[in-house]
Amino acid sequence: MPKCRFSDVKISGIVTCVPTLEKWIDDELELFGGKVKQLERLKKTIGLHRRRVVDEQTTAADLCEQAARRLIEQSAVEPSQIDTVICVTQTPDYSQPCNAAVLHGRLGLSKYCAALDVNLGCSGYVYGLWLAHTMIASGGCERVLLLAGDTISRLVNARDRAVAPLFGDGGSATLVERSQSSAATFFSLHTDGKGYENLIVPAGGARQPCTKVTAVAVEDEAGNFRSPENLFMDGAEIFNFSITEEPKSVIELLEYAEMDADAVDHFVFHQANRYILSNIAKRLKLDIAKVPMQTVERYGNQSSASIPTAICGELATALADRSSTRLLLSGFGVGLSWASALVEVGDLAVCELIDYTA
Amino acid sequence: MELDTFIKNFEEAVEDVEVGSLSGNTVYRSLEHWDSLAVLTVIAMVDAEYDLRLKAKELKQIETLSELHALLESKQST
Repeated sequence: MPKCRFSDVKISGIVTCVPTLEKWIDDELELFGGKVKQLERLKKTIGLHRRRVVDEQTTAADLCEQAARRLIEQSAVEPSQIDTVICVTQTPDYSQPCNAAVLHGRLGLSKYCAALDVNLGCSGYVYGLWLAHTMIASGGCERVLLLAGDTISRLVNARDRAVAPLFGDGGSATLVERSQSSAATFFSLHTDGKGYENLIVPAGGARQPCTKVTAVAVEDEAGNFRSPENLFMDGAEIFNFSITEEPKSVIELLEYAEMDADAVDHFVFHQANRYILSNIAKRLKLDIAKVPMQTVERYGNQSSASIPTAICGELATALADRSSTRLLLSGFGVGLSWASALVEVGDLAVCELIDYTA
Repeated sequence: MELDTFIKNFEEAVEDVEVGSLSGNTVYRSLEHWDSLAVLTVIAMVDAEYDLRLKAKELKQIETLSELHALLESKQST
């Protein structure tokens, strides 16, 4: 398992962009066969409430573009100074070219700029940060623009209770740059590819191309409908995976950094749902006030955009109030893949959550 | 692992089940409130109370609370 530490690299700004269309689980009683009790239990136990989703014309690239424009506008950086753009997404505009190239063009970046996509979901933001740190530490880059965003709401079947009420959409832009005065940053990265079938869109890739057959939704034993082109999630397996691996990986990273949990100001986990987050926090015996978990009930599970949304939406004021704040970021999900980072954030040029404007 | 305590923990994990209403012979999958959410809350209870990993598949393969209790005891001894 790779663990690594960097110095002289810092995060200098974060902007997250969310769609304005809001859906409420209270309006979806029909999906639960009119069972008010079941819906109430889901709200209470899992913490489902409302979520923001895109319309049919808007993509993750659009959300990321607006976040990036705002980030560049608010930071003392010219588009020509960006050496690399990384786009973390599992819902790109095209199967090729990659979103990073498309957005490189739309943002008017220099030709002396590398651009690549990373096909990861809930762990992707931390993986993207790790790549950005690696690129800068190796000496090749001064500034990396990390875009992370997904529109998972467009992959779920509206009649699949296991996923439809969970997922929202979002796009983010983070600027990572060289800085002599910054504190050390620590990462740990993990994969368990044997669990890949627990969270998967089976059709649409080369293994099973889309056909008339893959477009047909079929009812499963629990009464949920989905086609092979829709997202499938084995909720119990993903839950087990999360509460087993996440606490372990957080402890490992803290040990590697020789730090106590008390030394961390906020634990920003991938905003899967409140139930998973509170179970992870309980196992780690964390002070619940240090664990942002309102993002998911406001915006839904936003896959790769959930960590930046939690930072911009729940921590912007806390970060602005102090010269330096220590954050432990941790994402986990599709792959199965999970990654954690211990970073110090201070003096951000911008830390903002914005609404998408068409 | 006490069967009585386990049944009480189970009753608390599955919401809307009256405490004291279940026994070792209860076929839990026939309970009115047994659904995918109950599967999650029982898995979480087993993890928190007994530090054991229970799979959703295992919950589907057995019938009664006594059998579930026996399965957990066998996990505990391995």
